[in-house]
Amino acid sequence: MNTFSLLKGLRFVDSFFPSGGYAFSSGLEAAVQGGAVRNAEELSRYVVESLTTGMGEREAVTVGIAHEAYVSGVLETAFNADRELEAMKLGRESRAASRQMGRQIIRLAADQHTRQSLIEDYLAAVEAEQTPGHLAVTVGLTLAAAGWSKEDTIAAFLYQTATGFVAAAMKLLPLGQREGQRLLESWLEVIEPISHKAAHQQVLQSWSPIQDIYAMRHSRLESRLFRS
Amino acid sequence: MSDSSVIDTVGRRGALAYEFEGSSSRTVLTRSSCTSPWHHFPPSYLDDSGCAFTWLVNPSGGLVGGDHLSVEAQLHARTHVFMTSPSANRVYRSLSEPVLQEIRLSVGADARLEWVPEITIPFAGSRFRQSIHVDLAPGATVVLWDAMASGRVARHERWAFASLENEICISGSLGKSVAERYRLVPGLLPESVGLVGSWDYVASLFIIGDAVETEVWERLDEMLATILEQRPGLVLGAVSTPALSGLVVKLVARSAPDLTAVQEAMWTAIRKELWGLPAPNLRRY
Repeated sequence: MNTFSLLKGLRFVDSFFPSGGYAFSSGLEAAVQGGAVRNAEELSRYVVESLTTGMGEREAVTVGIAHEAYVSGVLETAFNADRELEAMKLGRESRAASRQMGRQIIRLAADQHTRQSLIEDYLAAVEAEQTPGHLAVTVGLTLAAAGWSKEDTIAAFLYQTATGFVAAAMKLLPLGQREGQRLLESWLEVIEPISHKAAHQQVLQSWSPIQDIYAMRHSRLESRLFRS
Repeated sequence: MSDSSVIDTVGRRGALAYEFEGSSSRTVLTRSSCTSPWHHFPPSYLDDSGCAFTWLVNPSGGLVGGDHLSVEAQLHARTHVFMTSPSANRVYRSLSEPVLQEIRLSVGADARLEWVPEITIPFAGSRFRQSIHVDLAPGATVVLWDAMASGRVARHERWAFASLENEICISGSLGKSVAERYRLVPGLLPESVGLVGSWDYVASLFIIGDAVETEVWERLDEMLATILEQRPGLVLGAVSTPALSGLVVKLVARSAPDLTAVQEAMWTAIRKELWGLPAPNLRRY
């Protein structure tokens, strides 16, 4: 990847990008309030499982499929993955969060990648409510358009997910910045092989029942810092 | 015959097919066929609603590697069918071949299907692959329950199966769907099966239908959430709204009695709210 491609893609997975990700905790807030996550060690178990058999086999695979759709020029593949992800994200808040962040990405990607008909066509379909516009699909399309490889794109998506967990955890738990960085470093060893594996998968699946349950319970919390 | 060809022929090919139509007062079974190990059992009528209570009977002890079982049911317009099994679905240890179980359910216009089988118990070393596909016509409603145990819990055999794959896909009339799909291989995660490892039962419940009024869904949502909170520490669950009109519940439980109590309470609430019907005694035990 050349430096210009790197910079074009980084913008979209940087925490400065206005996707609204800071407002979502992916169920972590409910898990903390439910007593399932009380310290850094329990946070790591929760996140590693999400990255491995949860999002790592569902969203990460979707990112790869969307990347392929861009490279092959067959947008229908991305629409199918978007539809499948919509069907599999059973919790209302998780589904809405993913769609909201995805919409932000694809709108700004269309601004940056002018004359990229695939990005514009996908944005048009999202705006016309013909496809849900999930975050995983938009990241896959956008970083492919920036010239990133499929595995790097998946790794960036998972890294962004991991930093989102740390950022949320620092507001919910007695977790300092150095501890957060230590956790992130340990998760890099998890993200690398998952990105490789996800790049070779075509079927979306997910096993993280406890995280799913907490994500679904979030909307009933009496006091909430986050929107998911 | 070589050893490998003998193994290739292991397992039974059992197909069960049902077709239901509505008569003036009740749903009737108009066509059926079955091959071993399935056993035909005519529907019974446990109340005066006309609902055909249908038992999926496999009189053999359980499923062995290489078994390939299928169930197909077609519910014509305005029928009401409840389908269940008389006992747990036991999956025995297999050295190589998985058990395949494929379910295809077609629910006609304004028809009601309740798919509430007993729990699946995957024995140590077992390999199980299940798919459940439901097609809903306009106005149709499905209540679909699917539950698994960690193993033979009474023998302290927990999360010791070789693999378990499950796919549930419910398709609505407008092309949208709701799906759950997982492949569970204990040992892939640092702690065998992850955070769920301290629980022994996992279940999903889907209640999907495009003809149910929003207020009914909202009321049922509250009722199911209340039921799920009644056994803190013993049951952890949640209810939410999926991509199709309806509700989805996911839960884990410590024991079979906890799971059964919550399931029966939810089933009773669902029948009452959706159709104004009581939950009859299934006379299972």
